[in-house]
Formats: sequence, C-alpha cells, structure tokens
Amino acid sequence: MASLNEIVVASTEFGNVVHPSAEAYDRQIRQHLSFLRRALSNQDLNSVLNDESVFDKLDPSKDSITYLLILRHQIKAAQEKAGKSTPAKLLPIGGLWRRMAYYLENFEPVQTRYVGQEWRQVVEVFAQTAEEFSQPILATQVIRDAILRLDPSSAVFTSTHLLFARLCLRAKTYSCALPVLKRPICHIPAALNGSNLRSAPLLCDDHQSSLAFLGEKSGFSSKLSHKEFLEYFLYGGMIFMAVKDWRNASHFLATVVSMPSVGVISKIMLEAYKKWILVGLLETGKLNTLPSITPSHASKTYHTLAKQYVQLAEAYERGDSRKFQERFDSGEERWKQDNNTGLVLQVSESLTAHFLKRIKKTFASLTISQLLEQDTPLPKDPAAAESIIASLITAGDLKATLVHSSNHSGDTMLRFSAGSNSSRLSHELDVQAQLKKEKLMLEVLMNRIDESKHNLALSDELVDHLRKGQSWTGAGENGADKDDGADIEEDIMVDFA
Amino acid sequence: MDTLPPADAFAPAAEDSYLANNSSGRPGTASVGADGSLKLKVDEPQIHSEAESLYSSFSSPGRTRFNRLYLIGTTSTVLSVDALKAAIVEAKNGKDIKNYERAVRALAEVAPKEPEASLDTVWAQNLQRNISAQTERLEHELRGYKNNLIKESIRMGNEDLGNHYYETGDMVAASKAYSRMRDVCTTPNHITSMIFKMINVFIERNDWLGVASYAGRLRTTQAKPEEMARNQPKMASALGLSQMHSNQFFEAAKTFLSVDPSLADTYNEVLTPNDVAVYGGLCALASMNRSELQRLVLDNSTFRNFLELEPHIRRAIAFFCNSKFRPCLEILEAYRADYLLDLHLQRHVATLYGRIRTKAIQQFLLPFSSVTLDSMAAIFAPEVVGGQARPTGTMSPFVHELIGLIKDDVLDARIDLEKGLLVSNQSDLRNEVQAEALESVRSFNDELHLRTLRASVLHAGLQLSPPDPERKTGRGRIAASAGKGPRGQGLAGY
Repeated sequence: MASLNEIVVASTEFGNVVHPSAEAYDRQIRQHLSFLRRALSNQDLNSVLNDESVFDKLDPSKDSITYLLILRHQIKAAQEKAGKSTPAKLLPIGGLWRRMAYYLENFEPVQTRYVGQEWRQVVEVFAQTAEEFSQPILATQVIRDAILRLDPSSAVFTSTHLLFARLCLRAKTYSCALPVLKRPICHIPAALNGSNLRSAPLLCDDHQSSLAFLGEKSGFSSKLSHKEFLEYFLYGGMIFMAVKDWRNASHFLATVVSMPSVGVISKIMLEAYKKWILVGLLETGKLNTLPSITPSHASKTYHTLAKQYVQLAEAYERGDSRKFQERFDSGEERWKQDNNTGLVLQVSESLTAHFLKRIKKTFASLTISQLLEQDTPLPKDPAAAESIIASLITAGDLKATLVHSSNHSGDTMLRFSAGSNSSRLSHELDVQAQLKKEKLMLEVLMNRIDESKHNLALSDELVDHLRKGQSWTGAGENGADKDDGADIEEDIMVDFA
Repeated sequence: MDTLPPADAFAPAAEDSYLANNSSGRPGTASVGADGSLKLKVDEPQIHSEAESLYSSFSSPGRTRFNRLYLIGTTSTVLSVDALKAAIVEAKNGKDIKNYERAVRALAEVAPKEPEASLDTVWAQNLQRNISAQTERLEHELRGYKNNLIKESIRMGNEDLGNHYYETGDMVAASKAYSRMRDVCTTPNHITSMIFKMINVFIERNDWLGVASYAGRLRTTQAKPEEMARNQPKMASALGLSQMHSNQFFEAAKTFLSVDPSLADTYNEVLTPNDVAVYGGLCALASMNRSELQRLVLDNSTFRNFLELEPHIRRAIAFFCNSKFRPCLEILEAYRADYLLDLHLQRHVATLYGRIRTKAIQQFLLPFSSVTLDSMAAIFAPEVVGGQARPTGTMSPFVHELIGLIKDDVLDARIDLEKGLLVSNQSDLRNEVQAEALESVRSFNDELHLRTLRASVLHAGLQLSPPDPERKTGRGRIAASAGKGPRGQGLAGY
C-alpha cells in the first residue's frame, strides 16, 4: 500500500509543479516517467494496481502519465486474465471502459507526448472494444476529440487517423468525422530522418508543427505503409460521399489516384479511380481530368481496367441519355461487384438535372412537350416528366418555374429563371465567407509547406543531392529516386512564388 | 502514274451537314456514294453563266480547261452531255490518254448513245506510240546535253521533258524533271519559271502545302524588284488558292485582296481575274467582320478592278456591310449552283456559305437584347415561313440551326419559345468574377495540398514500387494491397 501511496503522492506533486522552463519541465517529465516505469514493473504492486479505485485518486488533466500507465497496465492484466483481447471488464458496461473514456476526454496533451505508444494502444483497444460490442458509434466522438486534443492541426498522418475513419464508416457517423477530415493532412512521420534526431527539439516545447512530437519515434503511429495512407484517403472520400460533399470527396479520391508509384498500382487506387469518376460526374457533370501528378502508367492502367466507368461518364458528359441507359444496364454486374451501385444510381438520377442545366443554356422557356422533343432522359409522358421537373425545382436543384396555362388545353410552360433567387446582400455575404474560408485554408497550407521545406532541408536526401551536385559522377538508380523529393519541393515553391 | 483524283472525292463530308440540312428547295443536293465519298449533283437549269462562256474564258487550252469541263460534266445534270463532249474534244487535242478515257467513261454513263461515248482506240494507240517515242527522244537529248556539260542546255532539256510529262499527265515524273532544273538554273528568271512550273504540278496534284511552300520560295529569289512586281499577281493568286484549300479563309482573303490587277489574263492556266474576285470576295465575307469588309474589300482600290468583273459579289458584300442580310444571302443562293460547278470552289461552297450565314446571324443579333424568332426567320429562312404551319417550332430547321449555334457557343443567347423570342444573355460580371476567384483559389488549394502530400509521401518512402522478385508469391502486390475494411457495407448505405 505504501508503494501505491508513493505513486499517488508523486503524481499529485508532479501535477502541481509549476514549470519555469521547457528544459526543466522536460527533465521533470522524464524523471517522473522513469520512476513510474520502475514502480509498475514491480510485481508486488500488481494486486493493488488492478484495483480500479486507484483512478479516483488521480487526475488525468494534471498528470496524464500516471493515469495512462496504470490504465494500460490494468488493461493488459485484464486481457491476460481473460485470455482474449476484449474481456468483459473493458466492454462499455464494464468499469475500465468508463476510465478509458474519461482519460481520452481529459488527458493533458503535452505530457502525453512522452507516452505515445501507450496512448495509441489505449485508443486502439477502445475502438476495438466498441466494435466488438457492435456499438462503434460509442467510440467515434471520443476518439475524434482525443485526436484533435493531441494535435489541434491534425496535420500529421498517424495510424489513429485510419482507425478513426474506418470506425466512422462502420458507425455511419459521417458528420462526426468531418472536423478531422477537413483539416488538411500534410505530413507523414518519416522513417528515415535519422540525422535530425540529435538536435531533436524538446517534446514539451511549444511547436509550430505537430510533426515535432508526432514523429516516427514518438509511437503515436504504428508502422505506416502506402496501404494505410491510401486506405485513409479512400475512406475519407467515402465519408464525404456519404454527406454528399462531392468536392471534398473528389479531392480525397484524387489524392489516392495520384499516389506516386513506380510501375505498379494498388487495387485501392483502382477502386478510388472508379469512385472518383462517378463523384466527378456528380460534382461537375463531366469526366474530370486526372491530377497532373498522376503517374502516366497509372492513368493508362486505370483507363483499361475501369473502361465501363469511363464509357458511362462519356455518355453522361455528352448528355446522351439513351447511350447512358445502355451502358448503365450493361454494367450492372460490374457496379454490383465494385459495390458502387448506390453511387451509379445517384449519377443516373442526376442525369435529368444535368440535362435540364444544358437545356437552360439554350432555352429561356419552352413547353414540356417541346422539351420532350429533345433527346431527354425524362419519361415520354408529359405528366410524369412534369412531376419530375417539379420535384427538382422544389429541391432547389433547378432554378425555374412551371406555368400552367389557364385554359387547361395547352401545355405546361417551363421557364428558367436567369438570376439567383437569393438577395444580392446574402449572396455577397456568402461569397465573402467562402473566400475567407479559402484564404484561411491557404494560410494553413502555406505554413505546412514551410514545415515541409524545413524537414526536407534537414533530410539525408538533400545532403546527398547537394554532394552529388558538387561532384557529378553519374547517378545510381537509388540516387535518381531520392532526388524526386528535393525537386518537388522546389516545384512547390515556384508555384507559390 | 499519278493521275488527278476526281475532284468530288475531296468534298468535305463533315462540313456538308449544313448543305444536307438545307437541301429543300436548294439547287445543290448531296448524297453519299457507296464508297463513302461524297457525290455531288447539281440539278439547276438556271446557271448564270452559259456553259460556253463558263469555259471559254479559259482561253489557253490545257489541263485546267479539261478539269473544269470534266467537273461540270460529272456534277451538273443539265450541262453534263455538252460539257463532257467539249471535254472529250479538249482531251483529244491534248496528250493525256487517261483524261480522255475518263471523259469517255463519264459520257457513256450519262448518254451512252452519243457517238463520242465510245473509245477511239486507234487514236489512243497512235498517241501512246507518239508519246513513248517522244519520251525516248527527249531523254536521249537530255543525256546528250549532260555529256556536254552545258548548263543551259541541261536546263532546257529538263524543262522540255517536264513539260512533256505534264502534258501527258505523269505528274510525279514531271515534278522530278522540274526539280532537276534547280541545280542548273543560272539566273533568277530561270528559278522563277521553274517555280511556277512546280506550282502548276502541285495544283494539278492537289498538293496545297507544296503550292504554299513554293509560293514562299518565290519571295526569296533574288530577282529584280520589277521582276518581283511582275510575278506578284501570279504568286499571290496561287498562294491564295492554297490557303483557301487549307481552310484558312481569312489568310486566303487577304492574299487574294493583295493580287495586283496586272494579273489580267496572264495566269489563265490556273486562275482568271473573275476567279480571284469570287474567291477573294467569298473568303472575305466568310472570315471578316463588317468594318474589315468595308475597309479592306470595298475601299480597296486595287481589288475594285476585280470586283467590277463580278458585280454581284460586290453587291453581296455591300449588302452585308449595310446589314441587309436577306438580299446578301439571296445573291449568294442564286449563285450557289455556279459555284458548285467551279473546280476550286466546289468543295468549299458549303463551308463558306455556312460561315457567312452564321456570321450574318451573329451580326444581326448584335444590336438586339431580344428579337422575335419570326422576324429572324423572315430574313434567314423565308422558304420555311412560307411553307410550314409552325415556322418557329422546335422541330423547324431554322430553330434547329439556332440551337446548334447556341450549343457551339457561337451565339450567346437563349430561345424563349413561349414568347417566340431570342434573348441575349445578360452576364453579371461581378458574380462571374466572384465565382472565378473562388474556383481558382479552391483549385489552387487542392493542387497545393496534393503536391505537399506527394512530397511527404516521397519523403517518408511510401511510394509504391514493384514487389521484390524473391518475395513474390503467386498473388503479387496489387492483390495483397487490397485492404480489408468496411468498403462494401459502407457503400450499401448510400
């Protein structure tokens, strides 16, 4: 009991300490950490520590480290005891669940930087348990807040992001995921920045970039490969698709589609490409061009492997409803196989609105029967066509009015209105707000670029590159690959200038 | 053995949709032949120029005269027999057996009972023998000159041989013979004459790039200024012709406009001054705006000389400049049949007329913010107004034409079928600029993000690379990297 008391006292002391400088704080945290690790490895304490009441004496917002380590310790013990990864104690009805949730909602982000691996493990167990319990919805919001608490900018990609995105898809809590997804990810913890470890900044310091404490050694992320990266952006795109934010969905999928690769493409990329085509149709009504940085071999492969999608998009773009229907029907099996049926159906539904938008460019007004004389996706029966158009107008997808003639004999007249319905002022305000938002985004991105530049300047590749530049004796294949990074960096700055 | 392909094979099929659309009541009808090439038939009794006068103007007998006659014979239904007979006479005067056979075959199709419709084999065999003998003789002479190493003789020998080949219709051999003259030309005069011979060959072969390049070379010869001035009209008309055939109508118009009136009848083997007036006038109408037409065509004192030869072209241009589009289009329609019988103009009539019409519609709309469809139809489609119950319904060809123009972004207007109006679009500049600014910053942000991420991916070494051959199992990387995950169930929901 004495030992446990010791820990609690040390924790309270640690929580109350006023830290004068970053260096002193860093030293204190490290001391505290090594003390705790030593104490927890003591077998005698096991029985005491596994008592949940110990958490009542600890405050995670003051001393996150002690709380987290004991929590981790207890989870491990419970798992070992039950012989499976999610014992009853952890389930939302059990006591430990409450402790985990309480911790994730209240931890102190700066201290947590020192115990990244334990933090990640707790998050993973938390998510896994929620899923086992078939209630992933219980975990999504807590994890989202934890991610943003740890790194408000959410600019560094970690395995937790992937976990979170997958969990949100499973729980169908799409809007819950948006705050994280909308913060642009710009960095990936690099595996090979060995050179700047020696001059590594203090973890507890105030950092411009979250990359400083979320680096590869911090343990916040498991080992990353292209697969995790691609999956995250595919899932993100799908979440945006679910909330019908086509623009962001298209951007996320474009990230996957344009993944740098040599000679091969991933099946995830192909899948993203198929969705990307359909999303492009819903967003702009046409077959978008691939991002300029897409490797050429990839675009060729996409084109051959996703031919049915491309053909469907071409028919859509031309507004050729007959051909579209033909391709839609012939590809039914494929849509089903790719799990894209829902999306293709939406595309098909939007065809009418797309068609009317084109008609709007040519006609200011015309009767329904005149409209049906054109090559249209609308049903041939004027009354049915009229009701479809009416529903489009009601939904706000089409700015037009329908006028019945007074003598009941004539056709219904469809008149497209030219200007916007909203008032001038509200429109101006709306535009202003959007511009401001984009400006903010631009500023964020500019900062990220500065950080990237800093990182790249410290990387081994740059040094190699410079050395090679001084005595050019023919580049090996390895060298040529590595140059890419530096070149791209220069490119970005040119764009910006 | 390169013979002239039938000119009607070159009629651009794609541009003919206009012609096909408007074929009702028009003289020109087009039908696509079994071989995919376009057969054009002109069925119009009222040709303005009589057949005689049509080809009598080509006073210098030569290949052009035959080609023009043959074209009239194969396209006009009214004049075909007369024209083909004249063509046969023409061919018999010349030395090209292939042309003779072609003309006879064409006549046999139209009027098999005519005495000229059967081949004169005795004449043909005699001529063939003569030609071979002459070829032999000229080549022998040339060899002799070469042995003597007298440049002037070699040049003349080559020229004679070239002329001979040209007359007998062997254009490849002719161009070879002429180009051999290049090395032995001693004076700029020689070079000039050689170039003109080459241009003739290229025109015969329908090689318009070749014509353009040789016409360009003509400018760089070091001839005396007065020589240059004398060559200018011929050179400009040849260049204009090649530009017209390359569909560069604006350039062609400018070139024709610069032709000096001293051309007169000096270039009849290719072009008459009347042709210059017609080609230049039509190209200008099709490609220039009203102020340019006034300034460059009507106020052009040198070109006036040509326009006086074809006063209706002058009238049409003047009407166009004064926004009287109906009379302008009427004049052009009246002469459509003539132009369809013209060797060089035939394949461009549809395009040129289409452009003039489109331009007229554009010019007509300029002052209006909205205009009734009926008043437009009265000007641009009078025959529709007379003949149809609903002249401006969606199915009428005129409205179809308008819809096509709007879809191609030629007209910035919308059709209001309720009120029967064509309404020009009012653009809200402020809105447009705002939308553009937003779009540009958004796409910039997206691009920026993509590129930053890409740099990070490369920095972290995450890019995809082919699997190691040693570790490669049956399935490879592509299959292995298909992630597990909730893809399926996630999508089913939406």
